[in-house]
Amino acid sequence: MSTFFSDWYYLAIRNIRQIWRPLLALIPSLFIPIFFFAVNSQALSAMDKAPGFPKGVSYRDFVAPVAIFTAIFFSAGNAGIELAQDIASGYLKKLQIMPINRLAIVMGKLTEVAVQAVFQGGIVLVLLLAIGVRVQTGILGTLAMFGMLVLFAMAWSCIGMIAALRTQNARLVQSMFILVFPFLYLTTSQAPKNLLPAGFRTIATYNPVTYIVDGTRALVLFGWGDPAIWQGFAVVLVLFTVLVSLVVGSFKSSLK
Amino acid sequence: MSNDGNIIKVKDLRKTYAGGTEAVRGVTFDVKEGEFFGFLGPNGAGKTTTMNMLVNLVKRTSGTITIDGFDLDRQANEIYARIGFAMQEIGLDETATAREMLELHGHLYHLPKARVKEQIAKLLKLVELEKVADNYASTYSGGMRRRLDLALSLIHEPRVLFLDEPTQGLDPHARQLIWNHLRDLNKKGMTVFLTTHFMDEAEALCDRIAIMDKGQIVTEGTVPQLLAKHEAKTLEEVFLKTTGSSLADEEVNLKASDPYVRGRR
Repeated sequence: MSTFFSDWYYLAIRNIRQIWRPLLALIPSLFIPIFFFAVNSQALSAMDKAPGFPKGVSYRDFVAPVAIFTAIFFSAGNAGIELAQDIASGYLKKLQIMPINRLAIVMGKLTEVAVQAVFQGGIVLVLLLAIGVRVQTGILGTLAMFGMLVLFAMAWSCIGMIAALRTQNARLVQSMFILVFPFLYLTTSQAPKNLLPAGFRTIATYNPVTYIVDGTRALVLFGWGDPAIWQGFAVVLVLFTVLVSLVVGSFKSSLK
Repeated sequence: MSNDGNIIKVKDLRKTYAGGTEAVRGVTFDVKEGEFFGFLGPNGAGKTTTMNMLVNLVKRTSGTITIDGFDLDRQANEIYARIGFAMQEIGLDETATAREMLELHGHLYHLPKARVKEQIAKLLKLVELEKVADNYASTYSGGMRRRLDLALSLIHEPRVLFLDEPTQGLDPHARQLIWNHLRDLNKKGMTVFLTTHFMDEAEALCDRIAIMDKGQIVTEGTVPQLLAKHEAKTLEEVFLKTTGSSLADEEVNLKASDPYVRGRR
């Protein structure tokens, strides 16, 4: 345990450095959420007049938290791709025969994901604040929102890392990027649940991402009294615990 | 290290992969401290599997491995701290510079910060990468990558250095450079365990050689001992007699996947 934290620290520094190299690689995961926000908030702006839509909330503000969430969602896939690249190049083997704690390798990756999530989510938040979106729960709510989203990013990144460890194939891990779309769009990201068609509503109810979207939205739009906040935290904590346990297990079994 | 002077002790090592393929079938050998030990064999003989089991990258089916007095099952971290491994596949972080990689490895081997700096300066000079130390690894040539890989495996001054085909893909100059480094390290007391396809490499560097075929060691000894034992004039002849494979065939196989040789043709 004495060297665990220093191993974690140095591996996290190495991984965080990869975020900016190359810097241009950051553009898609920032462009896509901003692009979808700009298009959807204009194209579907009339939805805020529909019966059943939350009163006093503009459609732009309704989808603003989704833009932050999407930026973080997209960035979380990189950890798996980088891990697959480390496996393919043989670099992971070098780490495996060092006198370091295996958990530190996983924690170093998760720290990278957290840093990238805060960085990308922060940029989108600043842009949203600049166009007039306001976080109803203030600074504390903003911190809570980032806490929820960073936990989700770390949990989601585990899916890519498990795939990397099981398949050792960077292309396959990269192709898992498409999973973001059903998980993001089969939720309440574009419309409140009561306005969704029945079948869509059922899928959204069972999609755990719905609860993270609703929790984030509640922190931005509705205030601390909304139960969606604790529901969001409960779901994200379960996802985090389960997926991090699975990635640690995959890591151990992949060593031999 | 144990009292008998052996720094590596391997007893009845076996590896059977899922599906029943027996890659290593009861290998037993010792390597003395400070020895330059060569492991030869045709493709698929089990050399790399054996080496990967020695460094714990492949789980063995049975057998015992002791390195520097530590048991691999119970004291793996003690062993990791004492070994360096330059693999056949050069595993580098393409997004990092040589200096950054050496620095990271120094910290992960828990060297004091001042020592990390000293080692980086020393190793960059040793492998002649000082001028490109701050360039990304992705910009390096094959020879530079091999030399950086060797430097990474030496950052913590291991007692035992494992090398799997360390000069594959290198031009003659880079090959000679690596040989000189390895001789120097060995002279300073480092034990070296080498697998190679190149007979000249084995003859030039190794104190003792074991030839492996079909998962077993078929002969073992110094070059003069092997020549006498098998009534042969060259190491290649020993290889042919003990494995039934021609080294020329082996080198053709190897060179087919060797970018330097392929490019030269």
